[in-house]
Amino acid sequence: MIGTGRKRARSSAALLLAALALLGSGCGDLSNDELNRGVESLSALAAQGQLVANGVARDATKATYARVMAKTLSEQSDHEAEKLADATLEEPETADQRHAAVAVAGEISGLLSELQTFPGDERHGALVQKHLEEAQEKADAIVAQLSGDAP
Amino acid sequence: MKSILKIALGIIAAIGGFLDIGDLVFTTQAGALFRYDLLWAVVLGVVGIAVYAEMSGRVAAVSGRPVFDVIRMRMGFGLGLVALVASTAINLLTVAAELGGIAIVLELLFDAPYSMFVIAAAIALVAIVALLPFGGIERVFGYGGLLLFVVVATVFHQNPNWGDIAQGFVPSLDSSTLYLYFVVGVFAAALMPYEVHFYSSGAIEEGWTEQNLKENRLNAIFGYGIGGVLAVGLVIASGYLFHPIGVEPNDLGTVALPMQGAFGETGLLLALGGMLFCVGGAAIDSSFAASYNLAQFLGWEWGRYQGPRKAPRFTASWLVFLLLGVAIAQSGINPVEITEYSVVLSVVALPLTYLPVLLIAGDRSFMDDYANGRVATLLGWLYFAVIIVLALAAIPLLLATNGGGG
Repeated sequence: MIGTGRKRARSSAALLLAALALLGSGCGDLSNDELNRGVESLSALAAQGQLVANGVARDATKATYARVMAKTLSEQSDHEAEKLADATLEEPETADQRHAAVAVAGEISGLLSELQTFPGDERHGALVQKHLEEAQEKADAIVAQLSGDAP
Repeated sequence: MKSILKIALGIIAAIGGFLDIGDLVFTTQAGALFRYDLLWAVVLGVVGIAVYAEMSGRVAAVSGRPVFDVIRMRMGFGLGLVALVASTAINLLTVAAELGGIAIVLELLFDAPYSMFVIAAAIALVAIVALLPFGGIERVFGYGGLLLFVVVATVFHQNPNWGDIAQGFVPSLDSSTLYLYFVVGVFAAALMPYEVHFYSSGAIEEGWTEQNLKENRLNAIFGYGIGGVLAVGLVIASGYLFHPIGVEPNDLGTVALPMQGAFGETGLLLALGGMLFCVGGAAIDSSFAASYNLAQFLGWEWGRYQGPRKAPRFTASWLVFLLLGVAIAQSGINPVEITEYSVVLSVVALPLTYLPVLLIAGDRSFMDDYANGRVATLLGWLYFAVIIVLALAAIPLLLATNGGGG
């Protein structure tokens, strides 16, 4: 429901709702609001990744669960990065923020891939959690810039 | 003791039907996005399904007619056919989503390919239905779903601000379209038509008569009440953990995270186990509902109790619906997205399901002394008004929010 536009459009097509969903998903130009929402999604993915990594760090999860969740979140982050990178900006002055967002998406995806590789390693879990927290802060800073709350 | 055991029918309808993949995801998302603000909508939905389930069970017990029989009788062939097509399409999507949900949970537990688990899930369901009597199926999924009570334990472990939670039970209408979309989604997920189709047909499978009316009422109140408690727990647990840090739950695995946070691996395994039984029960409910509807509309012999020899077309149609569900689930479409669309689109079909039940249950010439009393009539029409409003709002909200994407 709050997922990526690409996945949504594919599902909607199969449900004979493709045309309607595409109208709303805003293919092509990326408005400031859409860019903002995309970066907020990255922040949300980083937050969720931290919870999964926390379970690994505390040895309080099942390795299969952590691995599959990390993989799923990593793929979602990749989708978000592709969506942001492929779209044409409606407001060219936000190019820097878009570039930074794509970099943060790559960072989140990489960290989650690491968690996917070491779902039973508490030390890796703690490190990934810490770095995901930093990635979330970066994403939140971009959101603040886009909404005019930060320089 | 015997009557307690008999409440199992209500419990499977409530746990395996009420708490399906749509409910698990919608309630978790509702908590993450709006914290406790949508608790009232959960309660609204739970009371609604209890009211209509009680009516449909009563009609089935008194007249021997399940809901779809009543729909055709009351609305005639034309409108009945419209209801059949709409409910079959929604049921089929639901079957696919639930099979996908089973596969996702198994993937989280065993980390093997999703597509393999979709097929394994379908084979397991066929084996369970073939080997167990109707009552046994109820017990397996109904009682297995009770593992999800770990959600309630999680809420007490989190020890949230109970005053804030109490405020969430007071209806509030946020002006945002996303909030309204979730009101529709949470309500519709509770009143999915397959729940009353399965419930009323299940009553006939169990041979209910007027003697079972008390049991019917207990099932409706306690069965759906338990489902409601779990749904409320999911909203609170999600609102407590996800809302402050901005998590947006997009997948079934996220539903289990609060339980992992509270009780570690044990909490996680209980949650995943409960979810497995819930979506498994819902797969049975929705696939049976699809076959019940078709068989009842076309006048075939139907019922699990009859067996494949006495009801061959019913049995064959059940297998076909299951296979079609497998095909959809294998197509690569995210099961969570399938269920979200099927839940919201089902709102449009709700009037066709619930109006005939309301009319028949209130018809003294048909139900005699067992017709709706004042309270049931009042609640029935109030809920029907709510259903109409939400049915009109569902599609515009689906479009305005890009399917809840905001």
